[in-house]
Amino acid sequence: MSNSYRILGLGLCLAGTIFAPISYFIISSVPLTAVGISAIMIGFTCIALANTRPYISPEACQLILKTGMENTAALLEELGLRSKAVYLPSTMRDGHPQALIPLVEDEDIQWVREKIPGRLIVRYGVNPDDMAIVVTTPGSINIDMLETKPGPTSGEIEAAATYILEGVLDIANSVTVSLADVQVDVEVSGAKLHYEDIWYYRCLGSPIASIVAAISSEALQKPVRIKEESYSKGKSRIVLEVLS
Amino acid sequence: MRIYNKYIVSLALASSLINILLAFFGQNDLEIYFIINILTYLIITLLYIYFNPRARRALNTIGVVLFAGFMVIIAFEVMEILSGI
Repeated sequence: MSNSYRILGLGLCLAGTIFAPISYFIISSVPLTAVGISAIMIGFTCIALANTRPYISPEACQLILKTGMENTAALLEELGLRSKAVYLPSTMRDGHPQALIPLVEDEDIQWVREKIPGRLIVRYGVNPDDMAIVVTTPGSINIDMLETKPGPTSGEIEAAATYILEGVLDIANSVTVSLADVQVDVEVSGAKLHYEDIWYYRCLGSPIASIVAAISSEALQKPVRIKEESYSKGKSRIVLEVLS
Repeated sequence: MRIYNKYIVSLALASSLINILLAFFGQNDLEIYFIINILTYLIITLLYIYFNPRARRALNTIGVVLFAGFMVIIAFEVMEILSGI
């Protein structure tokens, strides 16, 4: 992919470098000279963009993502976990946002006062049965890519999600976020990795939902659960429930 | 890389439109074409704030070079005006 930008850039630069002097000195046409200069400018931009492509190929990234997902899915299936994951902000963990999957589904979680330890199997509530496994999701990793931590407004969550999904990962075209009292509605258009009815997604949500949930949780500084996820007419709709 | 494609297409469309419009209105000063093309480039680049940090750094470098060219042209124009006085 990087080569196509480089080839385009070199082609435009070469064409512009030849065309601009010919237009100016031989044809004596200023507009055609300007076209040549514009071609050089766009050519240099293409070359610059070609150099900013990731070092790892998309196929290698997909392989790594799939390996991680299949390992987590195997763990979830083996333990028979069906409850929806709760995305925790970094302040509730040891500096790293992660997803918590309760062993027993509980609608009204009574959280422990201290930080949840950085282990795989943890106790998260005041009741003895409140045990869960904590896993790292694509959303957990992406928080580190944000230059500044988003604030608790829909605009800031939308900007952070757009930056990650559109600018950094390029897996969506646009993101719209609306924030109600205990609910965050997210609409993602042109999503490349949309929801599938598999065990991993039922539990942790699709990678896009996971990223949006992790960003929302970090922005609101509250645990967040993916309540609903649907895909229709090229748009993914994600409903997040903000837990107290 | 859809965002890169969108950016390149918008740059190409904007510069084509500007060159056509200026030619249509009979503009024959190369400096005017250059300045307006640079301004368009800077504005469009500024609108794509969601680029990844590496892309933004690379585009900022090009932007600085173009802005320097823009300033040189402005400086020459100012000197020309002042020497005329």
